[in-house]
Amino acid sequence: MTTNYPELFCAFAGEASLVLGMLVVLGYDLTVGRKRSPTERWQASCILGGAALFSALVVGLRVGVVGPVLGGEFMLDALGVGTRAAVLVLAGLTLMLTAGTARLRNPAEFVAIVLLAATGFSLMAVAQQLLVAFLALELASLSLYVLAGFDKTRPESAEAALKYFLFGGMSAAFLLFGFSLLYGLTGSIDTSAIAAALAAQGSSPLLSVALVMVLVAFGFKAAAAPFHLWAPDVYQGAPATSAALIASASKLAGLTFFVRLLWPGLGYATGDVALRHFSPGWLAVVALLSAASLLVGNFGALAQSNLRRLLAYSAIAHAGALLLGVMAAGTAGPAPLYFYAATYGLATVGAFGVVAVLEAAGVGPQIADLAGLYRRSPLLAGCLFIFILSLAGIPPLAGFFGKFAVFAAALNFGGLASVTGWLAFAAIFLSAVALYYYLRVLKQALVAPPAPGADGRIAVPGAAALALLLAALLLVVLGVFPSLLLQIFS
Amino acid sequence: MSEHPYAFLALFLAVALAFPLVLLAVSQLWFRFFQPPKPSASKNDVYECGVASTGDSWIQFKPHYYLYAILFLIFDVEILFLLPFAVAFTGLPTGALVTMLVFVLLLAEGLVWAWRRGHLEWR
Repeated sequence: MTTNYPELFCAFAGEASLVLGMLVVLGYDLTVGRKRSPTERWQASCILGGAALFSALVVGLRVGVVGPVLGGEFMLDALGVGTRAAVLVLAGLTLMLTAGTARLRNPAEFVAIVLLAATGFSLMAVAQQLLVAFLALELASLSLYVLAGFDKTRPESAEAALKYFLFGGMSAAFLLFGFSLLYGLTGSIDTSAIAAALAAQGSSPLLSVALVMVLVAFGFKAAAAPFHLWAPDVYQGAPATSAALIASASKLAGLTFFVRLLWPGLGYATGDVALRHFSPGWLAVVALLSAASLLVGNFGALAQSNLRRLLAYSAIAHAGALLLGVMAAGTAGPAPLYFYAATYGLATVGAFGVVAVLEAAGVGPQIADLAGLYRRSPLLAGCLFIFILSLAGIPPLAGFFGKFAVFAAALNFGGLASVTGWLAFAAIFLSAVALYYYLRVLKQALVAPPAPGADGRIAVPGAAALALLLAALLLVVLGVFPSLLLQIFS
Repeated sequence: MSEHPYAFLALFLAVALAFPLVLLAVSQLWFRFFQPPKPSASKNDVYECGVASTGDSWIQFKPHYYLYAILFLIFDVEILFLLPFAVAFTGLPTGALVTMLVFVLLLAEGLVWAWRRGHLEWR
């Protein structure tokens, strides 16, 4: 087999520009940046990194939807191109927030690793062959472990990195074992060949083992219960902007990766979750993960007093709804899932951005510390209002339309009296629970008076303000005109 | 095809459990009956290849070695990929050459980075 290099380069010019950008950022910091102040180094690194992300976005969109590349190892379909663009935008917002708020050492290394993670996400979005997909996943994961532990001055950060690394390494082992079993069963690492072989040979005990192994890794990546234990500690301990990337872009890329694997690749092993003719398959397992995540996330969040941990439990609850979208992708296609995950990512990056700005100003991580935010910084309070309401799913924000599309697709998937239908109803009822803990945050920020002695203005750095406004604007616009994002699927 | 194609796995598991347990039990019995413990000063000494031992084995050492191990990986991975490339060199298109040069460039930048950051200085 000879590789078609021009085709390869055309399809992956975006990733190439990310890697090139990484080299430029490091090179700049090693030569010119050595004599500059830390603030200037941060700004220069973030501007160079942002330029690399922007050029990758432009190049990736210009390549557009071209179908399979390199004999089907990569799939540049609407889902792939959309996910690529979304992860680059999310990584760009993360960099803008970092530029304004970071007080860490080693700016160039932080930006370079964000770019590497973005490369990993972007490859995960389009990879269709198991080995390439696994490598992309590992590139992204290894970068995120480093980012989680980047703040060397705080032991919590090291703890977060170690926990994330151990959980991640374990789940990667499960995934690789599942992949090797799939390879053993079908004799191929190509998704379409696997699908054909599975259709021919039907189900077997070994296939069930392989499916469970793959789904364990999936549950870890999506932070779904019962594989969610890392999420609260990592979201709490990691630097705020690293946590933003872990919560948003990583989740979106992981969901794209698995929905691509589960439906086209393992579509013959779905099983059936209808009551009359139940048969085992991955749908039943994903339904269990989804139900557990909805319950654990929503009820766990009620007890949290730390804003970051609350966001983590809300992430677990959202993972439950996203898994519902994964199941519904069988009939509705990936569009509702993609819309939900992308807008959820925007809202989470925004919420963690607010946390980052607050922490840079010395305002603590407890929800009680938000008291009087509307007077101390109207901009932060207003942006937090939009992000939290979008997470809660209040119209006309994008979070509402995402939830609506996923729940509608889930109800269509199996009808009202099916497991997916029940899960959709459960998710709708639990949204009421979610509203309580989301509004608790907003009440502190918008209604409670400032605590005595802590009522000074909070300065918002320019780049961070721009990123927050941009994320809030996108959430409003996509909520009113969801077709702007969904038209790539039609 | 037998009725239970995975039955041999249960057999493997039983053997895999029994094998180390039997060995441990035998060595424990041997220890109990033929080799009662008789500790002495020279028996408890640090092992030094026959030379008289100097000091404790619980010493502090610098963990900086991990940086050298990581930097060694640069060359290790490089040779791993360059060797098959060199073997097949004459039959490869220009694209492969460019790809390989980019790969080497990436690794070289890693080395340059460590060098300029002063990680090669032994402190």
